[in-house]
Amino acid sequence: MKFPALIAAGSVAMSLVATTPVFADKLDDIISSGVLRCAVTLDFPPMGSRDDNNEPVGFDVDTCNDLAAALGVDAEIVETPFPDRIPALVSGRADVGVASTSDTLERAKTIGFSIPYFAFNNVVLTREDTGIESYEDLAGMNLGSVAGVFEAIALEEDFNEWDAGGSFRTFQSQADVFLALNQGQIDATVVTGTVAAATVNEGNFDGFVIADEAPYLVDYVGLITLREEYGLINYLNLFVNQQIRTGRYDELFEKWVGGGAEAPDLSVPGVYY
Amino acid sequence: MFGTSITWGDISFMLSGAGLTLAITFWAMLGGTLAGLVFGVIRAQSPWYVNYPLGTVLDVLRSVPLLIQFILFNSFQSIIGLNMNPFVVGCAVLAAYTAAFCTEIVRGGILSVPTTTRRAARSLGLTYWQDLREIVLPLGTRVMLPSWIGLTLGVMKDTALVYAIGVIELLRSSQIIITRKPHEALVILAIAGLMYFIVSFPVSRLGAHLERKWREND
Amino acid sequence: MFDINYTFHWNQAFRALPDMLAGAWITLQIAVLSMVIGIIVGVVLALAKQSRFVAARGFATTWIEIARNTPALFQVYMIYFGIPAVLQLVASWFDIDFRAMGINIFYLDSYWAVLVGIAFNNAGYLAETFRGGLRAVPDTQTRAARSLGFGPFDAFRLIVLPQMFRAVFHPMTNQMVWAILMTSVGIFVGLNIDLTGVTQELNARTFRTFEFFALAAAIYYVIAKIVTSGARLIAWRLFRY
Repeated sequence: MKFPALIAAGSVAMSLVATTPVFADKLDDIISSGVLRCAVTLDFPPMGSRDDNNEPVGFDVDTCNDLAAALGVDAEIVETPFPDRIPALVSGRADVGVASTSDTLERAKTIGFSIPYFAFNNVVLTREDTGIESYEDLAGMNLGSVAGVFEAIALEEDFNEWDAGGSFRTFQSQADVFLALNQGQIDATVVTGTVAAATVNEGNFDGFVIADEAPYLVDYVGLITLREEYGLINYLNLFVNQQIRTGRYDELFEKWVGGGAEAPDLSVPGVYY
Repeated sequence: MFGTSITWGDISFMLSGAGLTLAITFWAMLGGTLAGLVFGVIRAQSPWYVNYPLGTVLDVLRSVPLLIQFILFNSFQSIIGLNMNPFVVGCAVLAAYTAAFCTEIVRGGILSVPTTTRRAARSLGLTYWQDLREIVLPLGTRVMLPSWIGLTLGVMKDTALVYAIGVIELLRSSQIIITRKPHEALVILAIAGLMYFIVSFPVSRLGAHLERKWREND
Repeated sequence: MFDINYTFHWNQAFRALPDMLAGAWITLQIAVLSMVIGIIVGVVLALAKQSRFVAARGFATTWIEIARNTPALFQVYMIYFGIPAVLQLVASWFDIDFRAMGINIFYLDSYWAVLVGIAFNNAGYLAETFRGGLRAVPDTQTRAARSLGFGPFDAFRLIVLPQMFRAVFHPMTNQMVWAILMTSVGIFVGLNIDLTGVTQELNARTFRTFEFFALAAAIYYVIAKIVTSGARLIAWRLFRY
């Protein structure tokens, strides 16, 4: 009688020692470290940008702060240009990506997505002097976008299909795309509507105009983390759900995008997630 | 300032970037030079079965773009869970890259000292290490120092590439300001260029001066 | 030893090999063209630096010092984003608005910006190399050639220049390898067709950073080796007595 009890006690003790590290997943790590490090892209206003003191601000920054508050930890913003978002996650420099990441199947092979926390429609952004008035006018023009993003892939496909000359270039950040458009190295870009509107309204770039809607699918973006962190992904899903349920999503939309527009619908009709 | 919208805050932001540029240069040169001295001595007097593999590794470091080395090592260290911050990654990669060039400089310096001189030293009763320290080092330094100064400047300029792994050094900090003030792009870039130039130019003059002076004495 | 939590998808990288090799071809193209331009301009700069004219000397010195004392990435960035701004500024002094006239004089494709930037850099470094090389050719050579009836230009072209190139062949090979490696900064000015550009695009789409860049590194190494062995072969053919 004594022996099995000993084994039982021993195995309980063993399992306490042995299994503690196994159960400490990313979610536990964040809570116990007291800091949530968010990868945010800061050249993508109004989602993420820097204010006059070069401090991070924007929809994504506020979302990160909300998430940190929900977890009961401090938020730390890790600035990552678009192509650096996933390396930052995989390298452990950031815990969660709050960086307008389109939830493509290609990327889901490598990282884990939450349910969409925002959705974009894409528009054609150009300068007044280019004479571009519709999406079809882009054929034969010099175009540019950010390397590897949703709208870049869609635009490049059409560019190759048109086969009408011109060029298609990709940059490492949204800022470089706008700068190239401003300087005349490209004639137009396709960019998410909210960002285009914010950029035009800010007035940093003279003569930028939104010419047309781009005929793409709605670009749903999710929060991202490592693929195997199910605990954290579940938490992120509930967090997004709560943001919408509590009206915080609409509030943040009004704060950063506003202009009387409705916050985009994040549900896809006719399908379960 | 300068009749533009660039503020002192922006300039100090760029200066802190420049500070980071210098810090990375310092650590990379320190690590790279120490490793280069060791590898250089080994390269100068080792049998082929040591020399060849070491030479190949260093050759790879010299033949792959630094930008790729940064990205590759950054993702590698994250895969094996080292959790280094980008600043450390930048210093480590740049130090290895520096070592690859420094090794050849040191090796060249050692080989530039005639064998007869070294034999003479040994026959005067100096030990191997005394010979290396008292004879080869002072004579070799004349050959090595100008190249070493050139290497330092090269490394300082190459730090611009750590941009790719998210370190906000001088060039990246300028680009962040350009993001907010695109119409000032030219002025901001000119200021950044000037900052590089101010650091680099006097040192390169010094290197050229030493080279000239020592050549005259030959 | 390490807690490896990552499964390599090498297959995905190897499938992209044809695209990456096409990128490598563009890389080589830019490097070779930038070297050709760099050598021609470099010789001119080296001569200008020894010229009697202050303006020529000043121009050459400015070029060489900027090329050698600022990062190549900065130079390429400046040519792509800075030169259009300069043109815009100059045009505005004369109240000319090219945009309103529908002329885009500011357009410079990434490919050309990288090519011009690296050629600028090459020329600056090669000019100094050539200056050293010219010093290595004794004055007596020129005098001997002139007394044999060569004109000043022919004496330089047929007697001095070949000897100079022999003296600087090795540093020139190094510069060629650097030119290849330097093309990688093109991704910062929108170049998406060279080896690094293609790799970065694949990386951004799939987030498989390590696999794609490891393959790219291997390709760069092979190209560098081909160039250096090729140069050694050429040197052996050209410079044997």
